[in-house]
Amino acid sequence: MTKAFRIPWLLVYVIAYLVFLYLPVLLLPLFSFNDGTIVAFPLKGFTLKWYAQLGQQDTLLQAMVNSLIVGSVTALMATSLGLFAARAYVRYRFTGRELSEGLVMLPLVIPGIIVASSMLVLFISVGLKPSLTTVILGHVFVALPFSVSIMKSAFDDFDQSLEEAAFDLGESVVGTFRRVTLPIVAPGIVASLLVTFTVSFDEFVLAFFLSGNSPTLPVYIWSQIRFPAKLPNTLALGSLLLMSSVLLLLIAEYFRRRSTQSSD
Amino acid sequence: MSEQIIIEIQGVEKRFGSFVAVSDLNLTLKEGEFFSLLGPSGCGKTTALRIIAGFQDHEEGEVRIDGRTMGEVPANKRPTNMVFQSYAIFPHLNVGDNVGFGLRKSKLSRKEIKDRVAEALEMVELGGLQDRKANELSGGQRQRVALARALVMRPKVLLLDEPLSALDKNLREAMQLEMRRLQQKLGITFVMVTHDQYEAMTMSDRIGVMFAGQLKQVDKPEVLYSQPCNREVASFIGGMNFLDAEVMAENSETLEVTVQGFGQMTIGVNPNVQVHDKELLVGVRPEQLEISAEKPEGYDACVQGEVSDVAFYGESVHYYVRIDGLPESIAVAVPNYFHTVDHSRGDTVWLGAQSASVIDLGKRETLGGDK
Repeated sequence: MTKAFRIPWLLVYVIAYLVFLYLPVLLLPLFSFNDGTIVAFPLKGFTLKWYAQLGQQDTLLQAMVNSLIVGSVTALMATSLGLFAARAYVRYRFTGRELSEGLVMLPLVIPGIIVASSMLVLFISVGLKPSLTTVILGHVFVALPFSVSIMKSAFDDFDQSLEEAAFDLGESVVGTFRRVTLPIVAPGIVASLLVTFTVSFDEFVLAFFLSGNSPTLPVYIWSQIRFPAKLPNTLALGSLLLMSSVLLLLIAEYFRRRSTQSSD
Repeated sequence: MSEQIIIEIQGVEKRFGSFVAVSDLNLTLKEGEFFSLLGPSGCGKTTALRIIAGFQDHEEGEVRIDGRTMGEVPANKRPTNMVFQSYAIFPHLNVGDNVGFGLRKSKLSRKEIKDRVAEALEMVELGGLQDRKANELSGGQRQRVALARALVMRPKVLLLDEPLSALDKNLREAMQLEMRRLQQKLGITFVMVTHDQYEAMTMSDRIGVMFAGQLKQVDKPEVLYSQPCNREVASFIGGMNFLDAEVMAENSETLEVTVQGFGQMTIGVNPNVQVHDKELLVGVRPEQLEISAEKPEGYDACVQGEVSDVAFYGESVHYYVRIDGLPESIAVAVPNYFHTVDHSRGDTVWLGAQSASVIDLGKRETLGGDK
């Protein structure tokens, strides 16, 4: 074949795809450093003042604290539930296993708005006022599929005879779990904690419906977007969230890989 | 080996749904005995081992270890320890912590635990490797760590589930001898599950042969070899030529038989065979037949045939000889004394058999899968 110039269509497609997917996301940090309140080109100059102002806004800080509480409690609850559920799914063959697994994974495909409105109706009808508690309950529901699948992959490569060996050597059931099961799936647990925290931290629809008058960070951002003067602040905040989310997910992925390597 | 009984299993049965994994298992093991459960995969041998260990419940029967009825006693309270097929080395602990794992629960001081661990590692020739990480161990070393981890508990009975199947051939043979030596030195009862007949034969004082959940015969290796109780057992231990025979006359010790192809012989009654029929099945080991170009002298029965195949094994040569009137070729194994293959395909040869090497296998049964 001659070495005629050919357009590498596949490469063009890949680049176009990446640009379409990530360029809008990159605009966020770009404008957060722009010295001007109007989000439009040309850029006016570099500034850090939008970031500096974030620290002085009490409602924002309160929303941040709310989100951290919700995220941490959600991560702990979803990961504990996911740990036990995943062990049961991988280890035992029981009636209704597949059905139960399907139901746990269902929140991934149910539209958030449906979940949010039905939860709101449910919580109000049982007398639970919208608050951080209701947000946490909602977030555990949507975070559980993530923690179950991460923990399942941690247990998949876990040789069952390790637990039997510990038990055979005289350890109790609880001791076996503590001294063998937990340390071996620990990287999976860390990965699950980080991922479920991120899921909760970024979640908007459920929080919007269920948070009442204690907004989480995404709900706060939404409320600020209506005020053009606050927009650069929101962009700065959004950029920070973006960076921390990516960082958390990278760390989570590192631990998830370690969990699948260590167990053979 | 003392005469003290250490394990008694009576009428144990285990079913998974309608599948009977272990049926009416009866077995008595003596203290200091090396016992192997031998059988093809799926025969129930591992289930039987797990019943002894306490990992598997059972429907009927009783297991007694060291005089105590085990019943509901869980695995962590039994005087047994196990070496798992996968070795189950704890990946997050180093060698020393792996071996000392079970001692943490005991009332031993830190110093005593350290000494016991060092002693156990010394025993399996891994002395000084306490700090080695689990993922830095070779297959053979993992096997030794698993052994040390179980032996450090000083169990009454050590259970081994296919302990050598993950090792390559040379290492496996070296470990067979080493484990046997270790067992004799410690005087602990070893119960090993294996599907490898040679492993079972070289290591065990006695072997139990299992098929389809049933323990068919329990005997010393040499008795299993010379007096197998039926065709199944005979075909699982060593090679065997099966021949139809007819009983002409019998008394309590001998049978007057006409063996297909070989003619009339007087053979010994096999005490392990339960039912003798007029239609008898007999077996001849390939290594106990004589093969030569001329009619051999001094044999009780001689027959002429044609070599249909030759297989060279190095230490021995196997000839397959077709004889008129026999459905299958007769296998003959000749030790390779002189680095020669004396007969080739198509040669006419004589086979000689001594009546003492013809084994009475009882009544004929139609079974799938011989050889």
